[in-house]
Amino acid sequence: MDRILENFITTLRRSGVRVSVAETMDALRAAELSGYADRRILKDFLSASLAKSLPEKETFEVCFRHYFSFNDVAGEGFSGENNAPPPAVQGAAFLTQAFLAGDGGGLTIAFNEAVGRADIGSIQSPTQKGLYTQRLFQELGMEALNRDIRRLAEEGGQETLAQARFLEMMRDSLIQKVRSLIQRQLDLYARQRLNDLSEGSMKNMHLSVVDTRDLARIHSIVQRMVKQLKDRYSRRQKAARRGHLDFKKTLRQSITYGGLPFDIHRKSKKTDRPEIVAICDVSRSVSNVVRFFLLVVYSLNEVIPRIRSFTFCSNLVEVSHLFEKYPLQEALTRLKSGAGLPILMNRTDYGSSFCDFLDQYSDCLTKRSTVIILGDARNNYWNPRTEALRFISERCRRLIWLNPETLSLWGSGDSDMEAYLPYCTIARECNTLRHLEKVVEYLLRKN
Amino acid sequence: MSIVTDKFSTVEKVRQGLKNVGYIATTQIAHTVYLAYHLGKPILVEGPAGVGKTELSKAVASFMGVPLIRLQCYEGLDESKALYEWKYGKQLLYTQLLKDKLNRIIEGETSLAESIDKLHQYDDIFFSPQFLEPRPLLKALQEKDGAVLLVDEVDKSDDEFEAFLLEILSDFQVSIPEIGTIEATSQPFVLLTSNSTRELGEALRRRCLHLYISFPDQGLEREIVRTRVPDISERLTAQLVTFIHQVRKLDIKKLPSVSETIDWAKTLVLLHAENLDRELVRNTLNTFLKAQEDIRVAEEKLHTLTEHALREAP
Repeated sequence: MDRILENFITTLRRSGVRVSVAETMDALRAAELSGYADRRILKDFLSASLAKSLPEKETFEVCFRHYFSFNDVAGEGFSGENNAPPPAVQGAAFLTQAFLAGDGGGLTIAFNEAVGRADIGSIQSPTQKGLYTQRLFQELGMEALNRDIRRLAEEGGQETLAQARFLEMMRDSLIQKVRSLIQRQLDLYARQRLNDLSEGSMKNMHLSVVDTRDLARIHSIVQRMVKQLKDRYSRRQKAARRGHLDFKKTLRQSITYGGLPFDIHRKSKKTDRPEIVAICDVSRSVSNVVRFFLLVVYSLNEVIPRIRSFTFCSNLVEVSHLFEKYPLQEALTRLKSGAGLPILMNRTDYGSSFCDFLDQYSDCLTKRSTVIILGDARNNYWNPRTEALRFISERCRRLIWLNPETLSLWGSGDSDMEAYLPYCTIARECNTLRHLEKVVEYLLRKN
Repeated sequence: MSIVTDKFSTVEKVRQGLKNVGYIATTQIAHTVYLAYHLGKPILVEGPAGVGKTELSKAVASFMGVPLIRLQCYEGLDESKALYEWKYGKQLLYTQLLKDKLNRIIEGETSLAESIDKLHQYDDIFFSPQFLEPRPLLKALQEKDGAVLLVDEVDKSDDEFEAFLLEILSDFQVSIPEIGTIEATSQPFVLLTSNSTRELGEALRRRCLHLYISFPDQGLEREIVRTRVPDISERLTAQLVTFIHQVRKLDIKKLPSVSETIDWAKTLVLLHAENLDRELVRNTLNTFLKAQEDIRVAEEKLHTLTEHALREAP
């Protein structure tokens, strides 16, 4: 029986549920408690000990249904015309006997073992379906079953003919089962592989070629990165909060109690909450990566409570409220088109946008804030107004510039990147997830 | 303990037992409670707010006939609040009261070293269990006949506290430097609840059995309402539950919880209502919808919602 559970756990793991050894032990004990007789109890027990979050529970449901779905194949077993017990068939194969006796439990075990031996889990592509189907038939002993059916049919008695017909029926349903099982395994296992495969390649993909349908996936990857960043920040905060004994204050307070240090005071540092100001270029020159930029800002918005976001083209506007109000897709389209925002979508003007920022929003710059600018610094030969950026840079803790262009293009043509460079704490090329990952890593190291 | 063991002998007994103390459990909840008892593992309960996560632990406690010890988590919760603390004030008071006594003890000694030696004979007297203030976790370990320990909203605590909790949950013992290791006299039944405001650590999840409670289906919720509000009529229950279930499908900020359904039922009983009607619903809407925005959304659909509820349960 343990073998079945083991295989089931393998199935779960392959479908993306992380199962530890300790949890396997729990599941074994749970299965011992429940037995395999009542499927509902078994399911609830295993679910409680193996699937530890809502998404995992959903996967578990699917896997459980697929894995333990064989019970119904056994059917009622064969009963003769006058309900006589089925005559034993001499020298019959296991399947024949199990079908005739309606031995559901035996069949389930045999089937699951055969599935394990046939190594169905290794199936990777739809072209392998035939191969694995044959393999599973072989492991199940389908040939012997066919032989038995033929023999029974040839013997010719009324009872044996009925038996043969019954077996044929069962065989057909078995074949159906096997086919659908293989299909399901393919769905189940291949899905996870596909995910693994593309996560790696997606990180290196240039963000200008990212499809809308991948947006959700990228979003989740970006979210994970941003969350790392946030976790690191919050850890610092908490370490500072604990505090040592504030001797001076305690002594001072003790005067009230006749010199007894009755009230203890602890030193506590002011918490250093991350404050982020994200400024994002949404002009046409960066139109192919702007979605990604906005995605990053959106993700930052989701996890960091104190963040102000701005987008600019010819002028600069605050967009923080949009992120809170709309779901990802909608917010992105709105920001990209500038619908409902007082933004001018003419030629990009970095200089005047920075001045806009200083005029209207300079109060959000403190010595704790990190300013992140996303843009290519292509300024259409306007005045770069570097003094504005200098002012921003002086008033914040650090200024990070993420530029979608490769390093060699910085400063070429109408790019003012080189003029802005001296005022950035760091400036990085950022056009793949890998780049973004590196930036996040840098930020983590710095803290 | 044998009585408790007997209560947990079958799954059905657990379910019935929970029902007897007023908690209508789905089979899944009963199964998980049963399993947790037999494996001696904590249960991590997740689910939307107000589906009875905290209620479950109260029910388990009264079902087992042991006290419920509750630890409410919040940001900044640390060991001294959760585990134990020295009664500093008492220590100070005693040293003051016993000043003369202490003076007498060290009277004969001439040098400082000798006085300290003398005091060392009584050394840990001020760090003995009498001066220890047990907080929920320690209290749960000290309960002789076991206890139900509820660690509520564990997602609100910090990562460090979560790590610290792991230690306690795996060994059920605590070491206090001045006294020594305190072991659980009988292992408490532990429940942790989470509203997923923060992703919990993998390690904690792995240590626990996991139970996800979602909103009950209509049949179950009807049963819950009838158990909690015995005076309510069958028909009104059906109408009310149908109505609530429809409201949960609306696009609102805070879905009405089970406890709010019960509140509403109680309100309607107080008002001697026989049937739902639009005016009645409009006036009592604020018992289960708490945001002005939500109330507005529901009021717009009030007619169809009420009609539907009445149609379903005429």
